[in-house]
Amino acid sequence: MNVLPAEEELMVKNAAREFLDAECPPSLARAVEQDERGYSLELWEKMASLGWFGISLPEAYGGGGLPVTYLGLIIEECGRAIAPVPIHSTATASLAVARFGSSEQQADILPRVARGELIMTWAVQEQDPRLRADAIRCRGEVDGDHLVITGIKHFVDNFSAAELMVMAVRTAAPGADNAGVTLAIVPTNAAGISETRLTTLAKDSQSKLELDGVRVPLGNVIGEVNQGWPATQSMLDTGTALLCAQIVGAARKDAEMAIEYAKNRVAFGRPIAGFQSIQHLCADMVVWCDGAQLLTYEALWKIDEGLPYAVEVSQAKAFTNDKCQATVRSSQQIHGGIGFMMEFDLHLWYRRVTAWTMRMGTSFEHRARVAGALLDQPGKVRLGMNLEPVS
Amino acid sequence: MEFAFTLEQEALRSEVQQFIAENVTDEILAELEDTGIRRRGPRTREMYHKIAERGWIGMSWPREYGGQDGSRIDQYIVEEEFARIGITVGGAGSGGPAILAAGTEEQKEEFIPGIIRGEISFALGFTEPQAGADLAGLQCRAVRDGDEYVINGQKMYTTAAHYATHIYLMARTDPDAPRHRGISIFLIPMDTPGITVRPLWTIQNNPPAPLGTTYGDGRTNETFFENVRVPASCMLGEENQGWYVGAMGLNLDRVGASRYLISIQRDEDIVNWVKENDIEGYGMRADPTVRDRLADMWIEGQVCRLMTLRSMSIVESDGTFTYEGSAEKVFAPEHGVRTTETIAQILGPYGQLLNGSEDAIADGVFAHNLMGAFQSGINHGSVQVMRDQVARRGLGMPRV
Repeated sequence: MNVLPAEEELMVKNAAREFLDAECPPSLARAVEQDERGYSLELWEKMASLGWFGISLPEAYGGGGLPVTYLGLIIEECGRAIAPVPIHSTATASLAVARFGSSEQQADILPRVARGELIMTWAVQEQDPRLRADAIRCRGEVDGDHLVITGIKHFVDNFSAAELMVMAVRTAAPGADNAGVTLAIVPTNAAGISETRLTTLAKDSQSKLELDGVRVPLGNVIGEVNQGWPATQSMLDTGTALLCAQIVGAARKDAEMAIEYAKNRVAFGRPIAGFQSIQHLCADMVVWCDGAQLLTYEALWKIDEGLPYAVEVSQAKAFTNDKCQATVRSSQQIHGGIGFMMEFDLHLWYRRVTAWTMRMGTSFEHRARVAGALLDQPGKVRLGMNLEPVS
Repeated sequence: MEFAFTLEQEALRSEVQQFIAENVTDEILAELEDTGIRRRGPRTREMYHKIAERGWIGMSWPREYGGQDGSRIDQYIVEEEFARIGITVGGAGSGGPAILAAGTEEQKEEFIPGIIRGEISFALGFTEPQAGADLAGLQCRAVRDGDEYVINGQKMYTTAAHYATHIYLMARTDPDAPRHRGISIFLIPMDTPGITVRPLWTIQNNPPAPLGTTYGDGRTNETFFENVRVPASCMLGEENQGWYVGAMGLNLDRVGASRYLISIQRDEDIVNWVKENDIEGYGMRADPTVRDRLADMWIEGQVCRLMTLRSMSIVESDGTFTYEGSAEKVFAPEHGVRTTETIAQILGPYGQLLNGSEDAIADGVFAHNLMGAFQSGINHGSVQVMRDQVARRGLGMPRV
């Protein structure tokens, strides 16, 4: 047991930070907010040349073969730098292919992801945005050797940048064990998809999709028809843990900006960092970020170890949502009026962290899952035990 | 990063659990539950010797003084299991670690084996009526007289003073030096003439708090020193360096198994209670608000656990604390308060029923905790002082 990042992990994290410090100023995120493309192609290509997108994909497919904790550390740094690149959605979808895809699917997709030639996303949520099997209503019907999809997919991240989506659809009525969900790889340019871009708090690229008889070959199905929920759940949980890392990185940077600002801002004849009311707020912000980071690292570590991880992911997201939101709000408080001026950079972090707390599961949803694991199965509980979720 | 204990460490935990299952008899439990006796009962002391024979006291201490040269993590595991039944095996709180860090060879030989055998224990003599959070303002005087020091003054909240063999005393040896640089530490037998211990009764005194209550002690003390003469060899570390010697011990006092457990035991208790019990007609386990609040508290409990493991990781890898121990000492006590107050709102009027009352839930532990949890944010460095330390040491913010 040593919960501190190991030397090799720190090397990767520090290298990512140095690279992003040099290549990803806040002005880049600001510029991309106004850009139809929705991401920085130049930054994406530079990151690809460093091998980041494949770092936790199998070596057999051109990846780095490292634990997903490494990818988590890189995404944490991307969050810190609010890097305007579709790394999170690509990682979420490509890891699902790496874990559950057929060898043909893996051979087709993973090397291109590792080289940075393929942007991906995930499409699970619909009008009822809750991350549960019975909220999936978008219909899939098997027609010969094709799957035909009709319905709505909502809040699809980086749709316009992505080439492929990993999509969950309903192919049979909700049954026992959450059967009836099928997970499939769907090209974003397939005939029958109409897109509406959403205007979001983070000014990022999300879309609502209407699918009308979209045909994909059955070879695109990940696993078996009707048996896709466990893979979907795993994709969501892995993506949620990575999103926590992204939020923690951004929130900690946001806190550091407040601490730095407080040391320089003079009021009542001294830097406001000398006031205990400010010091204690800053201390709390750091304690909150530390807690979110520890929970996130434990969740990522459990994913790698093949241990049950769903409860740890939900713990991390619920706490991260609440406490990182509190962190960036406190940072706004310390900055005062200048903090919400458009020309000042702080809002770039505030708007993203706030928006990300609402993505991939609210605090309420994740706490409900933790509560189920605690209360809805027999036996005494103890902190630190492995807890299985109740489906 | 590595969040699991090793197989050997898990085996050690099982061994301790088995030892507890086999040795903690109903008679011992009765002693532990009696607030007047607790772990000083004859049967409990007998068991303590068995624990020491297993090598489980001061496991990380050097073999030459009776320890095991074991890892701090092993010691943590053993401490956690015993703390869950109210037995402290860490080794005299701040005393042992500080003696090992700053003591002379003679002091180590005099104290460490005795601590391990359970024959030596310390009361903590830091706080004074006018020096609590601002400890450096302490006034208790130690004046050199030949080969002796003469001590006069008063110490407050010397909790173990009525049964400890020694007091770990902080006193002023140079009143003219800057506040932090005129303080020394002494290790003084409690039976030295001139020491008087008087009880201070806490709000937990009557009825007695059930075992496991956070700060359930019904008694603490004030201790008076009147011309107490001690040999100069009682001094721990250099003269006037006591502030820094004391800080070494305190850091280790603020983090670790017992600090963790007093913050999180109610999280486990309430979940396990709700799983097995209900209040007639309530349907507590299915109530969405109850479920949300319990999950929230559980998650905070996990943060306490991880912050404790972080501190252990730092200690084990010989790293230095900048702010991490203080951060833990902010989050964990305040979590203990939040969960205690949350449980009160879940239980409603049943939450006020104390030990022995008709209809008291779990021997009133949740009610008694409402008188104890907040003490955790005060004792051994208040959460305000801890936040000062996070801001100043961790974040480089200026002194006010």
